[in-house]
Amino acid sequence: MHEYSAVWVLPPTLTPTCLSADWQVVEQRRTVTSCTFYDTFEWGLWFSGHLLYNDGNGYLLQAFSNGWPETIECTEQGGGKRFWYEFSSKPMRRRLRTYLGLRGLAAVATGAFVTQYCDLRNESGKIVCRIEWSCVADEPGKDACFTSCKVLPLRGYEEEALQVASRLAELGTTPSGPGPVSLLLQRSGHTPRVYTLKPAFALSFETPAREAVGRIIATILTIAESNRAGIMADLDTEFLHDYRICLRKARSLLGLVKNVYPAGETERFRNQLGELARATNRLRDLDVYALTYYDHLENLPSPLHKGLARIFSRFSAERKREQRRISTHLQDHAGSPTLNDIIAEISNVSEHADSAAAFQQIGPLVFKGILKRYRKIKAIAETITPETSDEILHQLRIACKKLRYLMEFFNELFPPDESQLLQRQLRRLQGALGDFNDSSVQQEFLLGWWHKHQAATDSSLAMGGLLTLLHQRRKESRQQIDKMLKEFADNSTAATFKRIFKLHVAPPKNSRKDRLQ
Amino acid sequence: MKIISSYSIKGGVGKTALAVNLAYAFGEAGHRTLLVDLDPQGAAAFYFRVSNAKKFRMSDTPSLSSGLRRNIRESDFPGLDIIPSSLAYRHFDIALDSMEKRRKQLRRVLEEFQDDYDTIILDCPPNITLLSENVFRASDSILVPVIPTVLSQRTLEQLEHFFSDEGLPLDRLCPFFSMVQKRNKLHQNTMVELSAAYPQFLKTTIPLSVDVEKMGLRRMPLLAYSKAGDAAQAYRTLCGEILSLQENVCD
Repeated sequence: MHEYSAVWVLPPTLTPTCLSADWQVVEQRRTVTSCTFYDTFEWGLWFSGHLLYNDGNGYLLQAFSNGWPETIECTEQGGGKRFWYEFSSKPMRRRLRTYLGLRGLAAVATGAFVTQYCDLRNESGKIVCRIEWSCVADEPGKDACFTSCKVLPLRGYEEEALQVASRLAELGTTPSGPGPVSLLLQRSGHTPRVYTLKPAFALSFETPAREAVGRIIATILTIAESNRAGIMADLDTEFLHDYRICLRKARSLLGLVKNVYPAGETERFRNQLGELARATNRLRDLDVYALTYYDHLENLPSPLHKGLARIFSRFSAERKREQRRISTHLQDHAGSPTLNDIIAEISNVSEHADSAAAFQQIGPLVFKGILKRYRKIKAIAETITPETSDEILHQLRIACKKLRYLMEFFNELFPPDESQLLQRQLRRLQGALGDFNDSSVQQEFLLGWWHKHQAATDSSLAMGGLLTLLHQRRKESRQQIDKMLKEFADNSTAATFKRIFKLHVAPPKNSRKDRLQ
Repeated sequence: MKIISSYSIKGGVGKTALAVNLAYAFGEAGHRTLLVDLDPQGAAAFYFRVSNAKKFRMSDTPSLSSGLRRNIRESDFPGLDIIPSSLAYRHFDIALDSMEKRRKQLRRVLEEFQDDYDTIILDCPPNITLLSENVFRASDSILVPVIPTVLSQRTLEQLEHFFSDEGLPLDRLCPFFSMVQKRNKLHQNTMVELSAAYPQFLKTTIPLSVDVEKMGLRRMPLLAYSKAGDAAQAYRTLCGEILSLQENVCD
């Protein structure tokens, strides 16, 4: 773009003839395009600086800056696509895979764009400036809600472009602004917002435990609730994934910081959350199989593909039924409390009876809890040998998960650098433990399925391939566990845990975080 | 980057009409093209509705190329820019005269534009001066419109002698017949004679046509507004011939 190029936001009623007193305005081509804009629940495209829209002929992926569209990066004919792998062109797939991940696309706004290209000629009839006059409406035929003019100078005629800009300024225009797509999103009620499963809770070392726990639970259950509509609409599998993580985290926190609510209430909350999560267990299992299909396809020899497709098509059919069941379940609740009910109850700090830890400072409780969990992991780690049973590894996985939740929830109370390193190590260990567990569970599930169904020969062959693959993965992740565990349970990591989390004196008035920095 | 000039010692032979239409055709074919109007009459720039260049003094600019660069004007047509003429360009000769290696300076100046343009077309004044000598040395091809008359034949011979005397490569000269009257016997005979004497004559001939005169009224290249006329078709063919000649040279 020319250095003198500028976009001006105009009063919607203005037309290019407003410039005809100074120049001969000659209308050139006019384009009329109706676009539907797409993004994911996490606004993966928006936050990567991209717009994806369909203009009726196909998809266009366009970079944007400060809300204004810039270069078109790639295009693809057609419509009706939701996931990156449904696109066929390589550049589009590659980019969308990065920006969307497992997320599905949903329409977030529509707009009708009319652009009139005009030449501005001087008294000799020479073109001295070009303009692109764009009007945007919610739908074709409706009044423009946004009008802008791009001034495109010609080389050697920069002064004239400045005169055009100055004339537009006199007519009440403003340079740039948030851009038409931002306005369309706003008008359609979809404003891009940052989505995270690890929000900040504005906690301090001295925050009373019940207040801290209540705030964390209410925040993460609100995130869970925000995923409910996506689960019911079955937009992608990440809605259920995140929903379950939030429920699990909230439930786990009630057990990790004990006695912040009266024992009976803690148990009731935990049961309610557990029940909500358990209802979706089967659907999540089936989601995992659906997600691993292409991975398995790549790793199994082609003679087994037919049988694999047969097995997964049965999973897919079951998944559809299960999804419909969950959708209904989430809608009518069948008399059980909704997430919003639980959020309301848990947030109301004063309505609960007193309990031992309710008004204690959260910092010491958490630090003590973290050290306790770490020591437990270290103790298990010392007993691990190649012959250790799966049950012990399962206990280790649960212990790691609890420690990770505690460190994530109360991240704000620790010095960032050292705790991040510990969390990274813990994440790696948990990853290996998770892979091991997934392989074991999947093997068990598939064997059960195979015994139960009278599978055809080709399905049986594929099943054999799958079980071998999972067995191999299980062995690999078992080796990884040993490696990661060695690192996580060594003396240096133990010393870091002790240095950060051991309380030598009574907690000071200032936050522990401040003191450690 | 190729430098092509439209040159003739004689005036009124269709030199500017060629430069203007050739520049348009190159731009249309996707070449980033700069038309430099070196003729003080400024007809080439007039055809593009571009006003005269600002007064040009060597003392006002750090170099000849930056002075030229400041005067570049984008035309109404894609890929085509123009440096308009100005009477002040008569100082060009003086500017070149004051430089060292003064006969090769224009090439050096124009080479500074090679990142910006694929082709530079020079519309030259009808004389032999220091500027003309610079044009001869700067150009990869010198297109010479020749009206098939005795006088034009004489000027072509003069040009050839000048090239021989100065040791300039004769193969840069690309004459072609311009303003040809089909029914004029003298034209026909001269064309046969000249074609035999100068085998490098381009194949296409440009007819004498009122359509070319109308460029002054329309103030745009003939190729921009006429598709079917004889003259337009002839120019289109000639431009195609020159374009393919350039592309072959490039290969």
